[in-house]
Amino acid sequence: MTAAEDWLLDPSLAPSTGGRLAPLYAGAAEGRLTLPFCAACDLPLELEQQVCDGCGRDDVAWRDVAAEGTVHTVTVVHRRETGLVRAEDPYPVADVELTSGHRLLMAGRRPSAPPAIGTPVTVSFRFLGGVAVPAYDAAVPASGPPTPLPQESPR
Amino acid sequence: MSPAALVGLGLTEMSPRPGGDATELAVAALGAALDDAGLARADVDGLVVGSSQGVRPDRVGVALARQAGLGDLRLLEHVEIKGATTLAMVDRAVRAVGEGSARTVVCVFADAPLRAGGSAGSTYAKSGGTSGVRGLERASGLLGSVPTYALLAARWLHVTGGSAADLCAVAVSARAWAVDNPAAVQRTPLDAEAYFASPVIAEPLRRLDCARPVNGAAAVVVTADPGIGRAPRVVVRGSGAVHPMRRRRAGAESWFGGGRRAVDDALAAAGMVRADLDVLELYDPFSVVTLHLLEEYGFCPAGKVGPLVRDGAIAPGGTLPVNTGGGQLSGFYLQGMTPLVEALVQLRGDGGGRQVPSARTALVGGIGGRLDHHASLVLEAA
Ligand SMILES: [Zn+2]
Repeated sequence: MTAAEDWLLDPSLAPSTGGRLAPLYAGAAEGRLTLPFCAACDLPLELEQQVCDGCGRDDVAWRDVAAEGTVHTVTVVHRRETGLVRAEDPYPVADVELTSGHRLLMAGRRPSAPPAIGTPVTVSFRFLGGVAVPAYDAAVPASGPPTPLPQESPR
Repeated sequence: MSPAALVGLGLTEMSPRPGGDATELAVAALGAALDDAGLARADVDGLVVGSSQGVRPDRVGVALARQAGLGDLRLLEHVEIKGATTLAMVDRAVRAVGEGSARTVVCVFADAPLRAGGSAGSTYAKSGGTSGVRGLERASGLLGSVPTYALLAARWLHVTGGSAADLCAVAVSARAWAVDNPAAVQRTPLDAEAYFASPVIAEPLRRLDCARPVNGAAAVVVTADPGIGRAPRVVVRGSGAVHPMRRRRAGAESWFGGGRRAVDDALAAAGMVRADLDVLELYDPFSVVTLHLLEEYGFCPAGKVGPLVRDGAIAPGGTLPVNTGGGQLSGFYLQGMTPLVEALVQLRGDGGGRQVPSARTALVGGIGGRLDHHASLVLEAA
């Protein structure tokens, strides 16, 4: 694996950077976490939301937010689809509550033990097929790769 | 007119192996339902079709009317509301026969996700694309539907203080029902030891916490004309649906809450209360969903579902029979048809070794998306 390659997934899973999420990927490419808000009332919006559910306005403003949050929930994925997953061990995916008020799903920036629910994390980026995607860094240094459960049989 | 009733049921084999396309399965189920009701194709003046949004391009559509040899129709629609589709189809048919815009309506659902040369898990893992939110989720390692429900399950166990033993109890209970269901895909008796030996797919979900996809189809005949169809008739007493708009935001639950009204409304229409229901047939793509829905729908006080299922309440012989054919976990995953079919089997007294004694009333539940859509029906044997 070269430095430019993702530790987790095959580059064929690189997301399309156009469409409604384009501002997120444009910011990520420059190392900024950029997310949507209602321009009128400042409510944090879901990534594909076009009309504010708080005030009804349709003016979405993307702006940089603090790259930090806490873990809402987390899983460790054991099933690793041949050809799509490069990681050789089970890998965590976390659903993070950002301090901006958004929720965002992320893998770890590097292989690590799963952060517990409620744990603070910071957000940086993985590079998948040349596309920057948000990734968490556990605030507490991980103690090593995750230990597979004893009955593990990934496929 | 009498109240709308389900007077025919047709099933194909529920196959865990590749074979058959959705259209030919749908045609077969439709024919079987008409045979069951003692009807000819010429008797049908309504068709409502549903198909999986899933992984195959050859979905069943309104062309099924032509493909299945039906004549002129007054109602012909394709219904789509994810996992709540089947109940929405039946509700559509009930309304049509109630208002007289059609007299005899067949509702058909077919799915054929299993293809030669790839496991079901592999097929699902490869679907979803690279655009939009789903593309970002897949780029973050959420392939297929299991990891998403694993996140939900981990959150559920966290907020309720539940444990893997609760998930195990649901899987073991479902299997105990499936043992006596000839249509079930998994009929080998299951105990906790075997459950915990099952491979983890995405923590905390093991393979045995996940539904068994099949290629198959099911059809039901709906009419309000007491002269149409053969006994036993199963009357639709009430229906309800709700689509809570929970937002994915910090500080909020995005999967739980807002679903109870689907059951409250159906019961109110039926003039019944929860204690009047003899069997509960719920949509259970993952074991955690059964846990959640029992609380969400008010069949168990908040925080008490773990002890309830661990005491065997939802298993054969228990006080609250749930998913009496093995559900989607051990029976077969034909989306919303799974719970509807089992309710009809029970209320017609056709349950054989799994028959719940004197079952006269049933609640059928349907959920779609990530618990974004809830629907229910209250049924009663005529
Ligand atoms: Zn607003």
